[in-house]
Amino acid sequence: MRFRGGYNILLEGKPERQIAVMPEPDALYLPLRSRRFVFSELYVKDGERVNGGDILAKDPDNYAVPLLAPRAGRVQLKEKEGHIVLEEVAKLQERADMAEEELEHIEREMGAGGIKRYKLLALGAWQFFYDAYTGALPDPLGTPQAIIVSTVSLEPFVARGDAQLHKRLLNFTRGLEQLQSLLEYQPIYLVMPDIESEFANLVRNHIRGYAWVKMLEIPLTYPYDDFAILARKLGLKRSDGSVWAVRAEGVLATDRALTLTKPCTVRIISIGGTGVNSPTHVKVMPGYPMKDIRDKYVSEPAARLINGGILTGELLGAETLGVDAECRGLTILPELQERELFGFARPGWDRSCYAVCFLSSLRGKFRERFTTAMRGEGRPCISCNFCEEVCPAGIMPHLIHKYLYRDLIEEADEARVDLCVECGLCSYVCPSKIDLRKQLIDAKVLIEQEKEEIRQEQLRQEEARKQSVEEKSE
Amino acid sequence: MKGLLKVFEAIRPSFEQGGKLRVFKPVFEALDEAFFAPSATTVTAPHVRDPLDVKRFMAMVVIALFPCVLAAFYFFGLRFAVMILVSYAAGGAVEVVFAMVRKENINEGFLVTGMLFPLILPPTLPLWMVGLGVAFGVFIGKELFGGTGRNVFNPALVGRCFLALAYPAKMSASWLGPGNGLTGRLFEYAGASAVDSLSSATPLAMAKQGQFIGLREMFLGNISGSAGETSAIAIILGGVFLLLTRVASWRTVASILGSFVLLAGALHYAQPGTFGPVLWHLCAGGLLFGAFFMATDPVTSPITNTGKWFYGIIIGSVTVLIRNFTGYVEGVTFAILLGNIVAPILDEIVVGVRIRRLRSEG
Ligand code: SF4
Ligand code: SF4
Repeated sequence: MRFRGGYNILLEGKPERQIAVMPEPDALYLPLRSRRFVFSELYVKDGERVNGGDILAKDPDNYAVPLLAPRAGRVQLKEKEGHIVLEEVAKLQERADMAEEELEHIEREMGAGGIKRYKLLALGAWQFFYDAYTGALPDPLGTPQAIIVSTVSLEPFVARGDAQLHKRLLNFTRGLEQLQSLLEYQPIYLVMPDIESEFANLVRNHIRGYAWVKMLEIPLTYPYDDFAILARKLGLKRSDGSVWAVRAEGVLATDRALTLTKPCTVRIISIGGTGVNSPTHVKVMPGYPMKDIRDKYVSEPAARLINGGILTGELLGAETLGVDAECRGLTILPELQERELFGFARPGWDRSCYAVCFLSSLRGKFRERFTTAMRGEGRPCISCNFCEEVCPAGIMPHLIHKYLYRDLIEEADEARVDLCVECGLCSYVCPSKIDLRKQLIDAKVLIEQEKEEIRQEQLRQEEARKQSVEEKSE
Repeated sequence: MKGLLKVFEAIRPSFEQGGKLRVFKPVFEALDEAFFAPSATTVTAPHVRDPLDVKRFMAMVVIALFPCVLAAFYFFGLRFAVMILVSYAAGGAVEVVFAMVRKENINEGFLVTGMLFPLILPPTLPLWMVGLGVAFGVFIGKELFGGTGRNVFNPALVGRCFLALAYPAKMSASWLGPGNGLTGRLFEYAGASAVDSLSSATPLAMAKQGQFIGLREMFLGNISGSAGETSAIAIILGGVFLLLTRVASWRTVASILGSFVLLAGALHYAQPGTFGPVLWHLCAGGLLFGAFFMATDPVTSPITNTGKWFYGIIIGSVTVLIRNFTGYVEGVTFAILLGNIVAPILDEIVVGVRIRRLRSEG
């Protein structure tokens, strides 16, 4: 497969590469939900004192992935709904190692390979892993057909690989080795923006002789860094087994968990967008008070806080008090303030458009000051085909939209709505302002549910048949 | 302009549910949205949207028609302005009435239709026919299908086709000799009674009698013909603008013109006496106008890129066939309407192939 579609939205407020360190907080507010996880199984009691690295809660539906205490402190469960609050936070007493006897026990149970996987999970590194096709958390005990390691993050704005890897090259290559030790002979694909760059050469020198690492150069066009797109590009078939995917931070976490046996509780996230006064990367821990970040970085009085990038991020409401366990960046976007006079008829020197319909096309590339404005009225599809052109998955969003409009779920399934990687570009370019991404995601969920029901039904029938056969034989 | 916004806000309640003027809600909304960018904001990701909207999209076509409109003024006089007004008024009225009946928004599509329609009419056609034609086109060609975005036929062409069938005499005799000199007919109002209206046959009609008008005149446009279709240079100017802004698909234009040139060229090469030269045919009649402005209407052309190629080839070749082998002097209208009919079928075929190919993916 070759790359197709894709488009870079140039939004003002690109984060700088350097990493600012936020002051130590007095209290941490750890949300019990993040994008993939719901930490519903609590492991601590109200008022209990915990050390850094202790398990606060686990997600029973996701291989019991833990929520770790980033710092020592006293647990408050009731104070804020949906959060575990850590008070009297102190940096000290980070648990240096896992209990010896526990490890021995596990080694007896699962062998040397098992213990690494256990460490990854228990020390908080496993949550940096993704299933390339579904984006879900992969099975830590499974063996993938390949691992994709990407140092590229293209969505405006999430933490970039170059910021993560700055001065940590050694940890990165050591992490790659650790990853390899989880595999037998399966390859690791290392995705880079430019395999001739100085940085790539450094990496190459480090991993010289690691025949199992294969480098792949990709153009810096959003969303070519998407794991499902990369897996398809590499020709990895879904039927041949799972593909694990990690970004630079995941490799660094692997190194930390397996080489140092230390919990991974610090994240580097980006803070960018039109509403930020000095866009940058910051080093924070999960639970870091949102208010402190807001006070320090948000310059617009009326701004929308987005957890993640501008195209796929989720709205962060006021009820979320701290950085969640999976946060990769915060994007801050000013709300639409006033309605522009003759908006559609302006020459448009200041707006960048996918089609060449504004004067700014003569201007070359520039970063636009976006707001949350819809910038047009919802209309029926005018068949401009922009959504198909821009779609990196090679499906036809307008067609699926029309199927869904007429409730033709089966046809939508045939048209491979499941290949959609939810990049959001179709919604972005649509002049009729149709929320294609949302419609497609809803349809995907619906189709999955229906298929699951059919599967269950088949299982039940199978059971019933077996039973009747047994009864007869008796 | 803050004041105007306040006025809008003040009168908005009377158009809402339960207000006295709620039937006119579409009209109010259209005005409100024409003056001020909508206040809607994104609810889900993506949180930002492209600045292009349907209004702008349609406005680009109107802008691209500017050279043709100017040419029409120059060659055929001020009466053309009245034709535009009548066309917009009649077409707009149908659109507004339907929006009110359906309680939906007024769609921007009629901005384009209202401008295209007078450009493809003979310049001295009675005004009531202009109004009737556009109303018929918008009503039958668009509203009956459910409005812009759901129509199968190009409304302007439906209107013209209707007039050609209902009033063939007027439609083939309302020509006018083009203006000349520095100001052309810019300050004239040449109505149906103009002396030379009957004596100025169009190039294609003359060609049927074996007379070929010079290429230079055809290129500049000082020939007789439909108001906006005579000047090849004006059409190409606007058309290229439309292609550059990506509102029109270059695939459609390229395949129409390409297939036309090939087929007309082959005919001319085989029997130069009977069939006119290619370049001449290219500039004659409504071919260029149709290729750039009519066939490229995104709604009524195929949506898939492959479909567009076949669509263009059908239009291009059918035009050649009608022009050279039937009693009709001009075939573009029928060719494009035919293309409109086959467009959904072409799409279905292409989509079918693509879906079959997608089946093996991932
Ligand atoms: S259909 Fe899915 S993959 Fe394609 S552009 Fe839309 S969101 Fe992206
Ligand atoms: S971008 Fe929007 S209007 Fe254009 S084809 Fe896709 S759905 Fe239709």
